[in-house]
Amino acid sequence: MSSHYEPKGPVGRFVHELEETAIAVILGLMTLITFVNVVLRYGFQTGLTWGLEAVSFLFAWLVLFGVSYAVKVTAHLGVDAVTNMFAPNVRRVLALVSAAVCIAYGLLLMKGAWDYWANFANLPQTTGRWFPTGFEEMTRTSYRSWYEVLEVPMPEFLRFLEPLMNEGETYEKMPRFIPYAILPIGIALLLFRFIEAGWRIWTGESDSLIVSHEAEDAVDDVAHMNKGD
Amino acid sequence: AEHEAGCDDGEMVIKFSHVTNSDRHPKGLAATLLQERVNTEMNGVACMEVYPNSTLYNDDQVLEAMLQGDVQMAAPSLSKFEQFTKVFRIFDLPFMFKNIESVDAFQNSETGQAMKESMARRGLLGLEFWHNGMKQMSANKPLILPTDAAGLKFRVQPSEVIKAQMEAIGVSPQPMAFSEVYGALQTGVVDGQENTWSNIYGQKFFEVQDGITETNHGIIDYMVVTSTDWWDSLDPAVRDQLSTILSEVTTERNAAVGQVDADARQAVLDAGSTIVELTPEQRQAWVDAMSPVWDQFREDVGQENIDAAQAINASM
Amino acid sequence: MEVAILFALVIGLMLIGVPIAVSLGMASTIFLLVLSDTSLASIAQSFFQAMAGHYTLLAIPFFILASSFMSTGGVARRIIRFSIAIVGHFPGGLAIAGVFACMLFAALSGSSPATVVAIGSIVIAGMRQVGYSKDFAAGVIANAGTLGILIPPSIVMVVYASATDVSVGRMFLAGVIPGLMAGTMLMLTIYIIAKVKDLPKGDWQGWTEVFAAGRDASWGLFLIVIILGGIYGGIFTPTEAAAVAAIYAFLIANFVYADMGPLATGEGQPNKTLLHKPIALLSVFFHRDTKNTLFEAGKLTITLMFIIANALILKHVLTDEQIPQHIARVMLDAGFGPIMFLVIVNVILLIGGQFMEPSGLLVIVAPLVFPIAIQLGIDPIHLGIIMVVNMEIGMITPPVGLNLFVTSGVAGMSMTRVVRAALPFLGVLFVFLIMVTYIPILSTWLPTLLMGPEIITY
Ligand code: NA
Ligand code: NA
Repeated sequence: MSSHYEPKGPVGRFVHELEETAIAVILGLMTLITFVNVVLRYGFQTGLTWGLEAVSFLFAWLVLFGVSYAVKVTAHLGVDAVTNMFAPNVRRVLALVSAAVCIAYGLLLMKGAWDYWANFANLPQTTGRWFPTGFEEMTRTSYRSWYEVLEVPMPEFLRFLEPLMNEGETYEKMPRFIPYAILPIGIALLLFRFIEAGWRIWTGESDSLIVSHEAEDAVDDVAHMNKGD
Repeated sequence: AEHEAGCDDGEMVIKFSHVTNSDRHPKGLAATLLQERVNTEMNGVACMEVYPNSTLYNDDQVLEAMLQGDVQMAAPSLSKFEQFTKVFRIFDLPFMFKNIESVDAFQNSETGQAMKESMARRGLLGLEFWHNGMKQMSANKPLILPTDAAGLKFRVQPSEVIKAQMEAIGVSPQPMAFSEVYGALQTGVVDGQENTWSNIYGQKFFEVQDGITETNHGIIDYMVVTSTDWWDSLDPAVRDQLSTILSEVTTERNAAVGQVDADARQAVLDAGSTIVELTPEQRQAWVDAMSPVWDQFREDVGQENIDAAQAINASM
Repeated sequence: MEVAILFALVIGLMLIGVPIAVSLGMASTIFLLVLSDTSLASIAQSFFQAMAGHYTLLAIPFFILASSFMSTGGVARRIIRFSIAIVGHFPGGLAIAGVFACMLFAALSGSSPATVVAIGSIVIAGMRQVGYSKDFAAGVIANAGTLGILIPPSIVMVVYASATDVSVGRMFLAGVIPGLMAGTMLMLTIYIIAKVKDLPKGDWQGWTEVFAAGRDASWGLFLIVIILGGIYGGIFTPTEAAAVAAIYAFLIANFVYADMGPLATGEGQPNKTLLHKPIALLSVFFHRDTKNTLFEAGKLTITLMFIIANALILKHVLTDEQIPQHIARVMLDAGFGPIMFLVIVNVILLIGGQFMEPSGLLVIVAPLVFPIAIQLGIDPIHLGIIMVVNMEIGMITPPVGLNLFVTSGVAGMSMTRVVRAALPFLGVLFVFLIMVTYIPILSTWLPTLLMGPEIITY
């Protein structure tokens, strides 16, 4: 079994607690909204028409926010059957190569996430196909902050965005750059955690990026019942 | 993308993404015909790849991808354009058009043609309107008057107008993923839905509904769109040829859609379903019940456009 | 043969220790950039839409959450007591009870590893106390645990339905008969082994114990009624059923069994009730146990969806390059019939199952084989069940067998030993796979009976 992650220092502990709480709260909200909608429809012949879309966005938020946490605590699944056959020094090289692949993946996805989100927020995409080579010149069609989601209404407390983003026009629904913002944020965090993980392997603090099975914690919790032969 | 099986080296690839089957649905049939003609007549210059059944994008993602330049053509239903400009809400307003001929005349009028270009500032250009047909109401019991529908739950497309229309007759509008609708109608999670004959037949909704009321209260139509950036970048001769082929395909398939619609209706009838035909008085009751919806969206749609549509109705 | 290179790249990256999700995503991204005009932005869009645009996949976090509340909240323990009361007195009784408990828990939970953890940890310890070998116990549970994805509800079925647009409700019904059959076959095998080897059996504890244990477990088991009754009774969709199940499990775990949350007390002491502590109705939402269970379920969802989202990027490559159409043409031109085709599907999945986690594999393979199957006249629901059974077998064959890992964890045994222990029962599942593959009516009879003939829209 791989070791448990222990956050270091007060800031580390605070961030750790924040990440875990956010994951719990988002999943809790998704469940509650879905449940409430069932009750409203079956019991009261009504419903929150925005519920379905809101839950879908929360789902995306849960995963995109959480992937970086899962890198931090080494929770992503992988195959270690082959690497385990090698000597420690070969294993270390393979782990470093894997980390480099992950960082490259993070970089590509980071460019993609920025490019996808930027125009929705009236910001320039980067130029270049693989590597950002600069920022595009904004054209008439590069401004997409008017683009609203399908159902989720614009929250009142965000109305201050209208003069900033929508030339003062009112948003009937929430503009897309709000839910989509999790893409650049989540991927930036992911990239950061990949670099951190690569560094841990470089310094010898850890030896792998993967856990070889799910349900690890649950397994640890009950393994004591079956110790010995 | 020179490796694709159907496309030769040096040909410009035009990706067309849609959400229906390619051989029975009015939209799928039109896209397939368009593909055949482009690939024959523009061989060596352009090559069209059609991605049916939402295999590449669904109707909502496809417009984002088009603005991004990842797909060149699509034909989403008209309500998807409400987000670009609210004028398109006119097509969702109940009883705005008398029949599909009215719709056709309106789309071909100056007002309709202007609508194709109304999204240019957002980066999209409408090329042609493709018909599906007039909408009917189906439910788990035959509906004769709007009061029969009161208290029921209907699956609706995400559209403010359609939600308001349902609420006007006391129906609770329920958004739901399209793939779940059949099951939800069957088990009774929702009681009914509105759709064209082609869709009611194609999705087999008639199997799980106890009555279909021939209200003809609205339309489901599509608009073939492309991105202004891509369209403007085309060589004028290529653009003209593409546009001519598209226009001929549109004329041919739109003319045939009445028959597809009638065949679907007959097939539903042959399957033993109950079709409720309304007397003029009964139909008027539906019109009256839904008419307040117009006032709600008059500002979005523009009185002059409503007037234009009504003038066409009157002339038919 | 770009496809071959693509798959070689995916597998190569996985084998050097790159996370499965990143292997899929990285290889696909490189291919899209080299072979097509697709932009990196559109890959980011696919990633976001994997969650926001696939409504059926929403069932995954909810079923995982329901499972977490039931494991933490003492439902599993009560199901085991009930199972022992019913079948514990047969030869090999405790092992048979273990399978029976796995079947019952499978009917509540959508995942196989969850079933192994919930039932296995307790039953394996119990079996050893009464004299079974650790190997036998582990072999039984690793196999029976795979029923978690065959007996509805099932996360893998949700993924299949989402990838192919068949009805989730239909898939769930289709799993009932094969699930009961597989469970029965395992129990019969144990019975026969027990007769031959004279394995221990428990005492018949009388109907009083059956009823007492049944009453105690009934709060948990009632969830089966809620899920299936709710879906087929028109109260909610299969996706919503998962959320309702999670809420119900939360209430049972906190307020009825009170093995967790504000009413829980130390071991052996009677739990408090809401009458003693009405504030619990509010404080439960902020209780450490609630947060931890939500968090654990969330974490599992994240790792699973990271794989599925990247597998969807690979699917995007396959669609963009029109790979399924090419393969379909080759297979049809070669004159393959349905039987040969199903053999090939079984082989692809069994090999793929060696490297991949089931949901991710399914996301890739289902869109590849589905259109071909339809052309060959194979029923989509039947195909789905075949795929699920293949996934089950993949879970207990090395090198990547989730159930093997989990069993080795809960039993404290080496992987090799678990593999050997699981082998005899794996044989049973293989026979079962052949039956399911060539007797379509096992899968299609119940959904057709209850939901009418199926519509094929492709
Ligand atoms: Na299950
Ligand atoms: Na395996």
